[in-house]
Amino acid sequence: MQSDSLDPLRGELERYVGRADNEGEATTECLDDDTIAALAEGTLAPAARAAAMPHLASCHRCRRAVASVARALADPVVAREVSAIDRGGRRRFLRIAVPLAAAAVLLLFLGPWPRNGWIHRGTVGSGQGTPVALTPSGPVSAARVLQWTRVAEADRYRATLFDAEGRLLYETEVTDTLVALPDSIVLRPGPPYLWKVEARIGWNRWSASDLTRFSIAGGTPP
Amino acid sequence: MAESWIAPLEAGDPERAWSLFLERYRRLIFGAIRHYAQDYDDVMDVFARVCEALRENDFRRLRTYAAQPLHHARFSTWLVTVVRNLTIDWFRQRDGRRRLSAVAEGLPVLQRNIFEHVFLDRHSHAETYELIRARDAPTLTFRQFQVELRATYRAAADSRRGSVMRELGGHLSSDSEPERDSPAENDERRSVIAKAFDALDPADRVALQLYVVEELPAATVAGILGVPNAKAVYNQVYRALAALRSHLERAGIRQDDL
Repeated sequence: MQSDSLDPLRGELERYVGRADNEGEATTECLDDDTIAALAEGTLAPAARAAAMPHLASCHRCRRAVASVARALADPVVAREVSAIDRGGRRRFLRIAVPLAAAAVLLLFLGPWPRNGWIHRGTVGSGQGTPVALTPSGPVSAARVLQWTRVAEADRYRATLFDAEGRLLYETEVTDTLVALPDSIVLRPGPPYLWKVEARIGWNRWSASDLTRFSIAGGTPP
Repeated sequence: MAESWIAPLEAGDPERAWSLFLERYRRLIFGAIRHYAQDYDDVMDVFARVCEALRENDFRRLRTYAAQPLHHARFSTWLVTVVRNLTIDWFRQRDGRRRLSAVAEGLPVLQRNIFEHVFLDRHSHAETYELIRARDAPTLTFRQFQVELRATYRAAADSRRGSVMRELGGHLSSDSEPERDSPAENDERRSVIAKAFDALDPADRVALQLYVVEELPAATVAGILGVPNAKAVYNQVYRALAALRSHLERAGIRQDDL
């Protein structure tokens, strides 16, 4: 929307809001920092957002805080630091996950096999507690959507896509059990890709699927 | 992503937790402070205050966060929110009237008055206009006032206090505000607009307030409102303005009257 032959109402609105909304002390109705932060970063769950909206409409203090944090997050310096923290976290993950995966592979091939075969202690693929990556897996003709099983106690999922060298290609958090890859993610035929999904099952508790490998058919496998 | 500082904090090693926390988040804390304050000494003092506040009462803030079973936001965003609040509080407490007044010293008389009303006494722009007209400048039109208001904001923003002034003051009205008739007519019109505005859906009111008044980008407002994209925000704002117009027309106020 451009400024503004649009509407003389704007001036009136600014004037009215300015008058009605003198910022005062916080009340018990005011939003907590976590909710303000989630609104500012755009991740508040629909139900929580619907509950917060009437207060946000009437409380200049909270509204200004949300706007202020949103501006801070858009500040290039702040955005760069947040991104660096995220990358650091992923580097830590890879530093731990890659050796663990290598050890698991070694154990699989070198370890003692049970005489009577493997005994499952739980229902495979039940989705209880741990998400299972469904598609894509193995050679596929195309992969524009990542899909996994639902975890009953999860309120959020984080899907992460890597290339064969472990470089992060895409990561997102959703509440659904699938995510469409944006057009900016171009998967080439041939080379393998890896992806995983983590389910948030409590405070700071994420349950991760196995890394799942797939490739787009039509290329030359490495 | 697991927060490495939580385990030692819960295991009774808060200094180890603090060390891990600072290692990971020190630069973000500085970045968030610098968003609000540019002066080096201010930044360092606020950083010290943030550290002090986070360590207060045996790390109460961090412990409370860690103990919550569910969080809506990422920890880094929660931390930016906390730093923002502490920064604004620090400036309010430290500057108070005397130090903020130093910003106004070089301003023309009218702008100094505006500065004191808006930034020191925390009056809204409309209240400031009414007060100045009643006490000092009875012939001051609202349009003239807005010109001076903008100049005051520019002077404040150019000061060493930087963008924290925006947080301490009010928001800035647009230049499109027409001149008003009599105060009684203004009050009546404002009352009608207030009722029309309050009759809107809360999400529409928030959309108008964030997009029009706070002047956030539409894409940012979309995230806050939970709508798909900026275009949805444009549509929501236009619909809300249309509803306001319709309400006002029913109350006998036409667009030409605004």
